[in-house]
Amino acid sequence: MFHLRSSAILGALFCSAVASAAVQSDYYLREEIPLPPGEVMEIGSIALMPEQKIAVTTRRGDLWICSGAYGEDLSKVTWSKFARGLHEPFGMFWKDGSLFLTQRPEVTRIKDSDGDGKADEFETINAGWGINGDYHEYAFGTRPDKNGDIWVTLCLTGSGSAASNWRGWAMRITPKGEMIPTCSGIRSPGGMGFNAEGDVFYCDNQGLWNGSSSLKWLKPGSFQGNPTGNKYHTLAKLPAPPQPKDKSRVLTERLRFPDFVPPAVVLPHGIVGQSPTGIEPDTTGGKFGPWENQLYVGEQTHSQVQRVCLEKVNGLYQGAVFHFLEGFEAGLIPLRLDPSGILFTGGSNRGWASRGTKPFTFERVRWKGVTPFEMLTVSARKDGFVIKFTEAVDPATAGDPKSYAMKAWTYILQSSYGSPQVDASVPEVTAIEVAPDRKSVRLIVKGLVRGHVHEIAASGVRSAKAQPLFHPTTWYTLNEIPN
Amino acid sequence: MFRDCRKASFGSSFGKQPATAPFVIRKPALLFAALLVAHVPLAAQDGGKLYATYCSACHGADGKGAAAGTFPPLAASPWLKGAPDRAIQVVLHGLEGPIQVLGKNYNLAMPPQGGTLPDDQIAAILSHVRKSWGNQESAVTADQVKSIRAATAARTEAWTAEALLKLHPLPLEKTALSGLTSAFHKGQWKDLPDFKKLKPESVEEEHDGILSLSDAPAKEHFGMVWEGKFDATAAGNYAFRLDADDSARLWIDGRVVAQVRGIGPIKPQRQKIGRLKLTKGLHDFRLEYVEFTGQEGLSLAWTGPGMDVWKDLSDRPSKDAKLWPEILLTPTPQETSIYRNFIAGTTARAIGIGLSGGMHFAWSADHFAPELIWTGKFLDAGRHWTERGQGNQNPAGEAVTKLGKDFALRGKDGKALPDLRFGGYQLDQIGQPTFRVRGDGFELHDAFRAEPSGMLRRIEVTGRVPDGATLTLVDGLPLVAESDGSYRLGGKLRLAAPDARKTGDRTLILPLRSGLRSEIRYLSK
Repeated sequence: MFHLRSSAILGALFCSAVASAAVQSDYYLREEIPLPPGEVMEIGSIALMPEQKIAVTTRRGDLWICSGAYGEDLSKVTWSKFARGLHEPFGMFWKDGSLFLTQRPEVTRIKDSDGDGKADEFETINAGWGINGDYHEYAFGTRPDKNGDIWVTLCLTGSGSAASNWRGWAMRITPKGEMIPTCSGIRSPGGMGFNAEGDVFYCDNQGLWNGSSSLKWLKPGSFQGNPTGNKYHTLAKLPAPPQPKDKSRVLTERLRFPDFVPPAVVLPHGIVGQSPTGIEPDTTGGKFGPWENQLYVGEQTHSQVQRVCLEKVNGLYQGAVFHFLEGFEAGLIPLRLDPSGILFTGGSNRGWASRGTKPFTFERVRWKGVTPFEMLTVSARKDGFVIKFTEAVDPATAGDPKSYAMKAWTYILQSSYGSPQVDASVPEVTAIEVAPDRKSVRLIVKGLVRGHVHEIAASGVRSAKAQPLFHPTTWYTLNEIPN
Repeated sequence: MFRDCRKASFGSSFGKQPATAPFVIRKPALLFAALLVAHVPLAAQDGGKLYATYCSACHGADGKGAAAGTFPPLAASPWLKGAPDRAIQVVLHGLEGPIQVLGKNYNLAMPPQGGTLPDDQIAAILSHVRKSWGNQESAVTADQVKSIRAATAARTEAWTAEALLKLHPLPLEKTALSGLTSAFHKGQWKDLPDFKKLKPESVEEEHDGILSLSDAPAKEHFGMVWEGKFDATAAGNYAFRLDADDSARLWIDGRVVAQVRGIGPIKPQRQKIGRLKLTKGLHDFRLEYVEFTGQEGLSLAWTGPGMDVWKDLSDRPSKDAKLWPEILLTPTPQETSIYRNFIAGTTARAIGIGLSGGMHFAWSADHFAPELIWTGKFLDAGRHWTERGQGNQNPAGEAVTKLGKDFALRGKDGKALPDLRFGGYQLDQIGQPTFRVRGDGFELHDAFRAEPSGMLRRIEVTGRVPDGATLTLVDGLPLVAESDGSYRLGGKLRLAAPDARKTGDRTLILPLRSGLRSEIRYLSK
């Protein structure tokens, strides 16, 4: 009797605690996947294989295959070493019985041809770019695009010079092994991926000619902002990429140079991470929450996953980033979202520290079927923004301009490292329309600034159930103001 | 490789000017005016909050260095002591490469923050850091940051620890030595003389207990003898780390603990560490030193019971000779070692192979041949598998022999064959490789197998190889013919290649033809 009563009271207390302060684990279950004992598993890429197996590569150059990572009981996970002696791969996928890897010096197809569980065939598909022994000359690769091509981004030498062929460029490697120089202007990629439409994106890290880390669209033929590797256009008799002015702005320079594609979404430095990495679109049809077709972006320093919604305005991608998942055990590098709705993440903090304190990690996240009260999407209008929510809002708070605080700024495009936030302004929410279904609001904003990051802190908004937003702030990169 | 690049679909209008560019003139003027306003104004900067945002991921919320101290600590760091100039410089311009903090080595890169953070934010962060976790230093003002920023405006490179310490040396602290005297001797010694039989030119008292050559009355042809008491604060095991340019010898309680002999620079290979047990209390300390000519230098540090850092006794800081932990890769009869990372003495795409027979090699996928062979230990991966993995690693073994340094596949005219591609490799049951090179109309397979006293290399050519093509086996080594028809390769190793041809004194080539199968043996005895 006594027993029952006390647990009922505890239950009531627990419910009220949840109601007053939501936590991530109310919505998403993050679990560490056990790793092979004694091994250093600094995971750099993840590939999903048939029969619910998962391949991972490590920065030390091993390739392991994991079984049981989909199961309820993770203590049953088993591992087998499939290959070793690889050169720091940062990109992998499974296709037609082989694993395809982007290694530091080459794109490689590897296969177990005699069926003994170990790779024995290592076919170099293309090794056409330069490396010179500099540790920073990383290569990141994608899965195949619609044409079967693998996209590779080539980090600058030491992240500040271009001492080897094609440093600072994105290449496509065709199934026949040809290398097609495709975009210039890259600094230091941390990961690559596609959006739901199949366009290619990468994350570039804050540094020279890159005021803040950002998610960038690799439109074929585009220039991404950092001219350090421009000289290599002569290797393929391509026209010279743009040479932006020092201490200018992305907007100014991209209006001078139509090939200069601005960052689709700026991930404001320090606020939304410091080292963005892997990119994964949600095409699970709602199995990971209501974020259909949005992008998840890994973050190494802050050990997080951000969420990005994109739209195309005047031919350019732009959109908003939201904090999404956090608390991972190490700095995240690759992400893979299984169609069944399991997000696999791996990472390492060797050489670059992270909030997660473990040296390396392999984790999975599953949605519990409960959706947090969040901004679902933000979309630009000629006079403001439309914010959709994951559930009906309380019209009084959501319709009150005082519930929203805005700031806008941009960064200096410069040859020196990073940039402060500059050209700051304070746009004003002058009026709000709450949609009849109460699931979206239209903000009329005075003072939108083309090219600026617009921070919207909707801290005063409450759901119809009187809950605050789980993540009240978003950052929208307004490359273009729609007509 | 780039044959198809030109006709590739490089989709757009690189370099073309836009037909109309209405914004080009109007906007920049506005934006540049705004640049003067600089960063988003925040009334008073919160150093703790800024530290949490920009610094704590690496230096730790507790200032002890993130990831259990794999990143440098700020708590109690001597780098923060005294005037703030040193720390302001690091924040403004960043710092790269080896650095020692509280006796521990780091080899990382801190990005410069001067382009990101304005003066008042840097001042707030450093004031916070200089007053947290037991640090008790003065606050830093935005004006201090501003003046250093202005004075170093031309700087585009990150600092190295060495360069920064020349400008802003770490403050010296009183050492564990007391009653220290230094005796100066004149003489031309290439090694340590018996100082006990010599009379010094002068003797000084060194009240700070610091061993220093800076006040020595000479720069060459001299010796020094320091004597005093070393205070062991607890009973237990002690270690002393000694570096000298040229010679030095440490005595404790009349016993030699460590000595560096002869003439030479300070370098890891000459560093000596001596260990002994001491009782709690004062012990006789004596250090002898000789400088012949050229550079002079002396470092001595100690560590004792319960300490995880080294403490300097000299004004020149002692450095740990080991920059990374050893991770030795060792092949077994069941598993060949394979190492893809940067190996010194060959090209960036070289692949290291360690065979169980005890002979190892690095096969260059840039030049299509083994460019280094060696015996003994295979490779220490510690350099590349810790921190950021900077630099090229030397083979860990002996008899390292450089077989070539250029394209190995050549045409009749002696020039590199065109359109060659590295095709990858196949591994046998125990991981021994067969490398593939793809040329125009032919393939070359280059297999390596362990043998008891070396290795067998088997070359096969399929398809149509151009007439007169050759594969260079040795380029630039003295080839001494042995009675059994093999060649001695400069030093200890031999090569037997019945199908090969010597061209000149230092070059051995293998003529290639379609269908060729040829065996080459590399022998360690």
